[in-house]
Amino acid sequence: MIVDKMEQSLRPVETPMAPYPPKYITMATGEKLVIRQIRREEVPHILEAVKPLMTVEADFYDIVASRIYSELLGYYRYRVKDEYCLIGTIDGIIVGIVNGRMVDEKVGMSYHTMTLKQGLRIGAQLFAAKMEYHLDFLNQEEVLIVAESPNGFKRWMIEYELESRPETWHELGGVPTYVLTKALWEKHKGTKLGGRRPIKEELLKTADNPILPETYAQIPGYKR
Amino acid sequence: MREVGIVGVGHSKFGKMSGGTFSDLLSMAAVQALDDAGVKTGMGHGIDQVFVATMGAGILNKQSGIASALVDYLNLRPAMAETIENGPASGASAIKLGYMAIASGMCDCVLVVGGEMMRVVSGWEGTDFVATMLHPEAEYNYGLTLPAFAGLFTKLCMEKYGITEKDLSIVAVKNHENAVHNPVAHINVVPNLYCITEDEDAHIMNPYVAEPLRMYHCCPVSDGSAAVLLCAMDKADRFIKKPIKIAGIGSATDTHAVAEREVPTDLLAVRLAAQMAYKMAGLTAQDIDVAELHDAFQILEIVESEEVGFFKRGEGHIAARNGETKIGGIIPINTSGGLKAKGHPLGATGVSQVVEIVKQLRGEATGRQVEGAKAGLCVNFGGFGNNVVATILTKEEA
Amino acid sequence: MEEKMYAYKCTACGQLHHPKHYVCKKCGNRKFEEVVLDGDVTLVTYTKVYNLPEGYMKPYMGFGIVKFTNGLVVTGQLEVENPEIGMKLMSTVGVVKEGIGKDYFGFIFKAI
Repeated sequence: MIVDKMEQSLRPVETPMAPYPPKYITMATGEKLVIRQIRREEVPHILEAVKPLMTVEADFYDIVASRIYSELLGYYRYRVKDEYCLIGTIDGIIVGIVNGRMVDEKVGMSYHTMTLKQGLRIGAQLFAAKMEYHLDFLNQEEVLIVAESPNGFKRWMIEYELESRPETWHELGGVPTYVLTKALWEKHKGTKLGGRRPIKEELLKTADNPILPETYAQIPGYKR
Repeated sequence: MREVGIVGVGHSKFGKMSGGTFSDLLSMAAVQALDDAGVKTGMGHGIDQVFVATMGAGILNKQSGIASALVDYLNLRPAMAETIENGPASGASAIKLGYMAIASGMCDCVLVVGGEMMRVVSGWEGTDFVATMLHPEAEYNYGLTLPAFAGLFTKLCMEKYGITEKDLSIVAVKNHENAVHNPVAHINVVPNLYCITEDEDAHIMNPYVAEPLRMYHCCPVSDGSAAVLLCAMDKADRFIKKPIKIAGIGSATDTHAVAEREVPTDLLAVRLAAQMAYKMAGLTAQDIDVAELHDAFQILEIVESEEVGFFKRGEGHIAARNGETKIGGIIPINTSGGLKAKGHPLGATGVSQVVEIVKQLRGEATGRQVEGAKAGLCVNFGGFGNNVVATILTKEEA
Repeated sequence: MEEKMYAYKCTACGQLHHPKHYVCKKCGNRKFEEVVLDGDVTLVTYTKVYNLPEGYMKPYMGFGIVKFTNGLVVTGQLEVENPEIGMKLMSTVGVVKEGIGKDYFGFIFKAI
């Protein structure tokens, strides 16, 4: 697209953000989950993985997938400031997606966590990776979080003992905001954050061209 | 008493049911059992009594009197019908009552179907519902759950007998490996022993649920159903397969509040139920070739294997470490994958265990067959061990 | 007024019970008198549970089974940093479950 003065004026000014260093986590089955950040140009491909879940009512997949779709589009089309997206892959296949953005130097805004392959605690690890990004690599002081599903509420608000801060508005619109502070992160990351670095070249390479899942357990009978 | 045998078995795939009602779930397994026996649904089915085993139909699925509903749904009217509830031991209890109905002479042919559709509610609500089995004032009101008691029990057994977390993982991995060969199992991925015990991230990927029990030491929450068709042995000619005999049944109860148990590391009701079943069958532990032991928490498989007499107290975990409970070992336990990998729809489990043993004794357990199995034992554990039912099945010589 | 917990003493043989039973577990008698159940206890076993049932908004909770000096063995919540089997604790009574309209009281065992 032509980036003329008009387009330039519609784009937010980007803050330089340290990239997320990729890592791998050994799953209970012995498989390796690779977690890495995506580049802006990868968004259209990732959107294809999100699309099928936009109409699945169960477990709030429809709202989470639809919102992630629009958030990633916002990132791709330069209409959201300082957004990032991390993906998880196993054997090259996309198994989970998380995203968020920096509000300012000190405060992060967590958007969504979506697991494509259920049952292996992938969502929990991707969420932890997101928090790791905000608090350990972007050196922020706190992250604002909301939950759309009871599962999310239990996994984050209760397990991380998040601080309730209803007076602060979260961009996702009105549901009570909770905060992961640096202190809470230091308290819980030992039992919550997995993964090892550096990641071997060959392993990281498997995530180079993320493969779209052929089937989704959440959508019986679906085939890409 | 008349002799009773099993002439047909049915089993749905355990896991998450997508679409359909609770009656559909039960019917799937029921009809399979009838087909297996060569019974046509419709005129002349010859079924006198139907027992449905379920713990949650009334609470989770808002369906009381489910046996009455099923009888009509399957066009088995005017057969007698009752719903049987004994917590997670509902299945074996329903079979026990089916046995009693035939042995007494009141019935010739009984259909027993066990089922549970638990995944319609959240994990929280599920845990809460299961906890209703606990003592209301002394346990439930404290926020105690079945996993909490399993944790308390495991801690004590570890102190007394030296059982380790790794032992529990060894049992879990064995069960998962067995389930790979069971097409109806809920889970067919196998956790890697190293990855869930010693790997750097093991404590995160296999976190504590109720210390010292970890995630991979506890069974999943499953939907599913299983069914058996029972018949008087002297009236079994009309069926296509030779009956597998119910040689012995025993059941026993213990204190409701777990703290009141005489010996806190014992599972007394398991021991008494097994002894009663052995006595009725005229067999001992040494005569059993294959067993399905209720392993909602892997510690239970270890302790039950001791209480039923396979190993001395305190040596069950050593036997597991040495591979003695694997297929090919001295006493294969949970060839189906157990509750751990096959899944645990509460009301279905007791019936599912019997289905597995029937398959073993018939030689139909492809990929997980115990060669030449002639006698099998099932232990179905209710509450946290306060109501246990043991069933012994034998293959009659030609 | 402080809440108390009670044991039930058989009026015929003196056998203590907790929780309540309708029939004495020793002699079969059906009359009981309430006696306060309190004092120091010994820890029999413990656990820390991470998956709590509905209504408990905490990441984990400690539970323990303890033995009172009168021989009664009871389960309750545990608020002890580093529990060890055999350690001496004190029994307190507190809210163990928040209900709608009323709270439930029970034992909470704490370090002495």
